[in-house]
Amino acid sequence: MVYIEHTKGERYMEKIIEVNHLSKSYGDVWAVKDVSFNVEQGMLFAFLGPNGAGKSTTINSICTFLKPDKGKVLVNGYKLGEQDGKIRDSIGVVFQESVLDRLLTVEENLSLRGSFYNLRGKELKEAVANAAAATEIGNLLKRPYGKLSGGQRRRADIARALLHTPKILFLDEPTTGLDPQTRKNVWDTIKKLQREQGMTVFLTTHYMEEAEEADYCVVVDNGMVAAKGTPFELKEQYAKDKLSLKGKNMEQLKTMLEEKNIVYTKKADLLEIELKNTMDAMAILKEAEPVLDGFTVVKGSMDDVFLGITGKEIRE
Amino acid sequence: MTAFAKRNLKLYIRDKSTVLFSLLAVFIVIALYVLFLGDVYKGELKEFERADELMDNWVMAGVLAITSMTTTLGMLGTMVRDKYEHIEKDFFVAPVKRWQIAGGYMISAYGVGVIMTWIAFVVAEIYIVVNGGKMISLHNTLKVLGISMVSSLMNTAIALFLVSLFRSMNAFATANTIIGTLIGFLTGIYLPIGSYPAGVQWLVKLFPVSHAALVFRNVMMESVMDVSFAKVPSEIVQEIKEELGMVYLFGSWEVSASCSMGIMTIIAIVFFTLACVQISRKKK
Repeated sequence: MVYIEHTKGERYMEKIIEVNHLSKSYGDVWAVKDVSFNVEQGMLFAFLGPNGAGKSTTINSICTFLKPDKGKVLVNGYKLGEQDGKIRDSIGVVFQESVLDRLLTVEENLSLRGSFYNLRGKELKEAVANAAAATEIGNLLKRPYGKLSGGQRRRADIARALLHTPKILFLDEPTTGLDPQTRKNVWDTIKKLQREQGMTVFLTTHYMEEAEEADYCVVVDNGMVAAKGTPFELKEQYAKDKLSLKGKNMEQLKTMLEEKNIVYTKKADLLEIELKNTMDAMAILKEAEPVLDGFTVVKGSMDDVFLGITGKEIRE
Repeated sequence: MTAFAKRNLKLYIRDKSTVLFSLLAVFIVIALYVLFLGDVYKGELKEFERADELMDNWVMAGVLAITSMTTTLGMLGTMVRDKYEHIEKDFFVAPVKRWQIAGGYMISAYGVGVIMTWIAFVVAEIYIVVNGGKMISLHNTLKVLGISMVSSLMNTAIALFLVSLFRSMNAFATANTIIGTLIGFLTGIYLPIGSYPAGVQWLVKLFPVSHAALVFRNVMMESVMDVSFAKVPSEIVQEIKEELGMVYLFGSWEVSASCSMGIMTIIAIVFFTLACVQISRKKK
């Protein structure tokens, strides 16, 4: 991957997904309205938004499940609505809910789904073995899918999506409902796929700390793109650092801040100040040092970004 | 398509409760017959020779007719579940065609229908022989196997159409129970058609599965009837045949076995067409 140019966050790499003015309505309600964005090859792309923001509609459209009302979508160079078969060959999708058969073993499941891609005999066996190796479930192949733990199932789901070695891997909330340890394992697998196989990963997630690790984020709200950029750019723009002060004498501290026209909010026994720049904290701290008992500077997180853009907590 | 059909078969066989429930109607028919109703019918026909064997064959013919209906319905529960649990999304994310998936359901359902009917046939013959009856001739065995293939085709088509209408497991399970309960009556197996009021008799005659029962009865009861009714005037034999549902009369038009075979074939084609239309209708 070569960056041809890199200015102000505008990168020019090969675009693998291009969404232009995508719109889709259900009756009078616009689920998605004039959404445009690009996904570049090999990147980890996070698609964020509160429930009902149009995430699923957008993904379902790109994955050929829904017919959009308006707009042009190119996936791996193929036009949506005209070359859907080619698009399906290029993408692997991990759905939010389990879609493998509980009564069949992992191997039987993978073999069946592989046959949907016209894989036969030796080719099919190899594809199953490779997908299992990539997700580290080789030892689970003979076990019934229904008897696996949540994390193991998720791995099997991902293996399913990798059978035909797709160019793009879609994951719809891949780590929801998993315990933190399992979540990390699954997440590591996803990142490994991206790093080692150069796969483009398109995911939606509820966990903002996962979005922090994405190469690029698009936030949708009310069916429209509310913000896009790298996690760093988004944090710069939408999340402010916060300085929390604890005074030896709170009244004195308050008076001092008021004299300097510094806006604060009281949170429990702390005073919280929003900072434009992290370094601004220094000046305030110097002034307040005599009456200060302690302080913390908190860096803005993706949670704040999300809150700042949509006005909603993501975990609804 | 064959890989997909194999998957459906595996899912059916591995879920023991589905297999059991899909055979429930069959078990109920047999249990009712063995425990209560059999004696009643046999008592009514006791002046004829080998009445026991006659009625054993009669009820088993009915069982063969409904087996493929209830088992294909049970098997196609997978299709409703795939839709309900959004498993089918994972099929269509791959470049497979809708007709290939629909074909996979059809093949597996048809396979289950035919094989289960054949198994039921073997069990039926064992029961008849153990009860002192004569085993069916080779010629008629082949006929039964052949008829099973036609009747299963019709029942698969009907089941496929019914199943394509359902989107929720609950609705499907309810419909399944209702069909399982009613089918014994609607085909004139619990009670011979002659004991129904005239209006209900029409219902039975119009119910497609009844025609499968009619054909099976004619083949399976053929040899024993020759003995039982050897010295009976033909008008009375005709009357008994009507009573037992071996011929159906629509006014003065008599539906014979070969006629019923034709009816089954036509119904199979009609319902397959309806099912295909229903399944291939893609939601926008």
